[in-house]
Amino acid sequence: MSQSQQLPQLPPKESSLFRQVVKNYEAKQYKKGIKAADQILRKVPDHADTLAMKSLIINSQGKPDEAFALAKKALASKLDPKSEIRGMKSHICWHVYGLLHKHSKNYEEALKAFKFAHSLDPGNPNIMRDMSQLQVQIRDYQGYIQSRTEMLKQRASIRQNWTALALAHHLKGDLAEAEKVLTMYEDTLKSPPTKTDIEHSEAVLYKNSIIAEAGDVERALEHLDTIRKDNLDRTSVMELRAQYLLQLGRKEEAQIAYRALIKRNNEYRNYYEGLEKSLDLDRSNAEHKKQLKALYESFAQESERLDAARRIPLDFLQGEDFEAAVDAYLRRMLEKGVPSTFTNVKALYADPAKQATIQQLITKYAAEKETNGSGDAETNGESASGFQKAVLYFLAQHYDYHLSRDLNKATEYIEKALTLTPTSVDLNRTKARIIKHTGDTEAASRQMNHAREQDLRDRYINTKCAKYQLRNNENDSAIETMSKFTRNETAGGPLGDLHDMQCMWFLTEDAESFQRRGILNLALKRYKSLYDIFDVWSDDQYDFHTFSLRKGQIRAYVDMIRWEDNLRSHPMFTRMALSAVKIYLNLADNPKLSSGQVNGEDTAVEKKANRKAKKEKEAREKAEAEKKEAERKSGKKSTGADGESKKEDPDPEGKVLLATKTPLEDAMKFLAPVLEFSPKSVEGQNLGFEVFIRRRKYLLALKCLLAAAALDPESPVVHEQAIRLRYTLDALSEPLAIPVAEVIKSSFTLVPAQASLAAHNDSYLNENKQSVSHIRHGLKTRQFLDLKTLPQNEKDLMESIKLPSATVDDVVKGISVLKEWNSEQAVRKSFVDVAREKWPNVTAFKSA
Amino acid sequence: MAEPQPADIPEDAPTGTAEDRRAAAALSSLDTHDDASADKRDVDSEALGNAMKNLGGGKQKEAKKEVESKKVKIDMKDVSLLAEHLELSKPKVTELLKAHEGDAVRAMKAYVSTSA
Repeated sequence: MSQSQQLPQLPPKESSLFRQVVKNYEAKQYKKGIKAADQILRKVPDHADTLAMKSLIINSQGKPDEAFALAKKALASKLDPKSEIRGMKSHICWHVYGLLHKHSKNYEEALKAFKFAHSLDPGNPNIMRDMSQLQVQIRDYQGYIQSRTEMLKQRASIRQNWTALALAHHLKGDLAEAEKVLTMYEDTLKSPPTKTDIEHSEAVLYKNSIIAEAGDVERALEHLDTIRKDNLDRTSVMELRAQYLLQLGRKEEAQIAYRALIKRNNEYRNYYEGLEKSLDLDRSNAEHKKQLKALYESFAQESERLDAARRIPLDFLQGEDFEAAVDAYLRRMLEKGVPSTFTNVKALYADPAKQATIQQLITKYAAEKETNGSGDAETNGESASGFQKAVLYFLAQHYDYHLSRDLNKATEYIEKALTLTPTSVDLNRTKARIIKHTGDTEAASRQMNHAREQDLRDRYINTKCAKYQLRNNENDSAIETMSKFTRNETAGGPLGDLHDMQCMWFLTEDAESFQRRGILNLALKRYKSLYDIFDVWSDDQYDFHTFSLRKGQIRAYVDMIRWEDNLRSHPMFTRMALSAVKIYLNLADNPKLSSGQVNGEDTAVEKKANRKAKKEKEAREKAEAEKKEAERKSGKKSTGADGESKKEDPDPEGKVLLATKTPLEDAMKFLAPVLEFSPKSVEGQNLGFEVFIRRRKYLLALKCLLAAAALDPESPVVHEQAIRLRYTLDALSEPLAIPVAEVIKSSFTLVPAQASLAAHNDSYLNENKQSVSHIRHGLKTRQFLDLKTLPQNEKDLMESIKLPSATVDDVVKGISVLKEWNSEQAVRKSFVDVAREKWPNVTAFKSA
Repeated sequence: MAEPQPADIPEDAPTGTAEDRRAAAALSSLDTHDDASADKRDVDSEALGNAMKNLGGGKQKEAKKEVESKKVKIDMKDVSLLAEHLELSKPKVTELLKAHEGDAVRAMKAYVSTSA
């Protein structure tokens, strides 16, 4: 940081001390830095720049509040006792102020401060770097282009600066300008860069990707041919070339290119796909199928170990050809005893004919071995029983798979397999999975734990076991299980480490388990943690804005930026966000819940669960207190994975989250990204409707409803919500603004405007007598329109789960509908009794 | 993040002790060429100067585009109505209205019926 000339200078001794402070800060020698700063301040009290530097150091020590106070003081203080110029005129003070804001993730304010600092000292490279980084972080591409242009003008000899400017144009979508900038730099080179210059190699490929992105494949290919000889990333060059040739219809050359790629990596499916296309072979054409078959056979002959060429034909072959091919494939895999055989072929089950063929073959294998098993056993010894084991394992998985499910048979085969190798982890795990599918989560959890005990050092099975425990609502045992592979000295113990490691599946399952039991505060707490992890991922990109440029890996960087832009489209985000929205809707409908007390009229189960939860909580608190005590004694503070000391969480139980006064606004935080990034999620649209109608945002509710109807016109939820929207709009006490009413009138045509809603719903119920979910939502609608229909609704709902098509899920949803209706306990009990008769093993109904 | 940092310390390096930092600096210089000194030799400074002059040629086009789209008249009442009912920021609402020639009903209809 250099002082600008016009500002007053410190005396020479203090001036050198000030430089010392800056050095100390950069070297993270915070104590020394503060000491030196205080030394200056004794001589020159309230020196603005020194105060600013001190506040920066204090911030790095983890005291942001103190730092902010000091930074503000710096801005108001004088730079020199003799002059009237204050910190407001010092770029250092503004720079520091921006850094503090950046640190606390307030990017807007940080950018303002940096801009101020920049205007006070336009040439300062540090300020410019920080500012540009921030601009790309918040996707202010116009500003980024400007900053990058300035930086380039300052140091035009550095290639990085040219690439960065091109990148800025590229991200803004100006591909032509981006290419121009890259070419301009290349033209200034006197001699070609050395062959080992990775930065050059990456930069030219980056330029090539820009040309292709602009859609000019012809020129991209030409350009690629000029650089391909010495480019260091051979794989990319070859892949791009093959792709361009194919796009340009130069199929003969494309074919050669793809064959060369297959030689390099003969298990990569995309290459085979490219080859098929360049040969103009169509998988649905009978004549072509023969050629394809011959093609893959020739590849298969080349290597004994090759899987791709043997597996791919199964996708397109039919009838006898398929049977012969799959027979050979299965025998080969099963004789080797490959554990993943079933997983490899299960995608074929989407075709019922193929599924039948496989079932027939595999049953035949099992019979073969049984009839001549005793005679062969001696001659074949090990391999015969290996084949037999593999067949039994395959059969168990086959009958467990949802498209070919017969759980009795699956159990039979897995038991047979287990008598041969009782200690196999795979077999015991599959048994647990089969039990899970019967609905008996308790036994499944026990069985998975048994599988885990077969190999205590296997992390995969350990993780699986924890998941099964969570599915059975054993949150504490699950943590205990996880703790065998976590860093338990982390602040917060195993759970703290799982947070640090961003173990999303665990947090999600943990939350869902709490949610099932009605422990909403802890469920919300976990969802909030998950939400925060996505924020962390967004912030993580910060370091890469400079890092990637310095390393020259621009293509990977662009991929990352685009991935970050759609970060929250991830299925895990949708899953947890929608669960959180459900809790907030529940809170909005039952404000009593937010004080932590559950409905007065509890079932015995809920009471038991609550008692259990309370006990668990007490045990946790005790353990926590003991730990703190121990820490206090040893005089050490617990530290996180990165060695930084952790701040204590003021709301570990999530009670503050639960006590929200604005549940619907809180829900928006989770809902908005789902609607923006995963608009195809029907459930997301359904829940969006629920939130918006409660917030009286009828146009937005309508938007969700229309989107859901477009995605799934037969959805029973759409029927229910459409009637509710019509009913609500008809009953409004104040008319809507005229343009809004007009929009609704012309866009909302799902329910006829003048129809009697009750009659409309009744005819709906009449038309959908076989689908449990349609009946359920029809009944919900009837109840909504007329509270007096309750007894009939309860009766009809119970009848609906007697239908052959009813599932366990229908029962669970039915139970919550009865709760919504505030049905009598006796009604709920007889409902569950009916379900229990039909599904005796399901844990969820057992204890009810 | 600790900033400002000297240019030779990469962000990803452990900054624990002085020795660590020296090792990290040495490591990072292994695969990056010291751009400042290496490039100067290869770069034709005259060509560079010319290239610099050509920078920023494409900016006038954009300015024109913006002027064109500003012709539509927008009623401020419509903006606040849409902002309230559609929960959009004012700039977004303005954009939406402009795309529908300032007609509030049409703009809202289009917004409500665009699924996915």
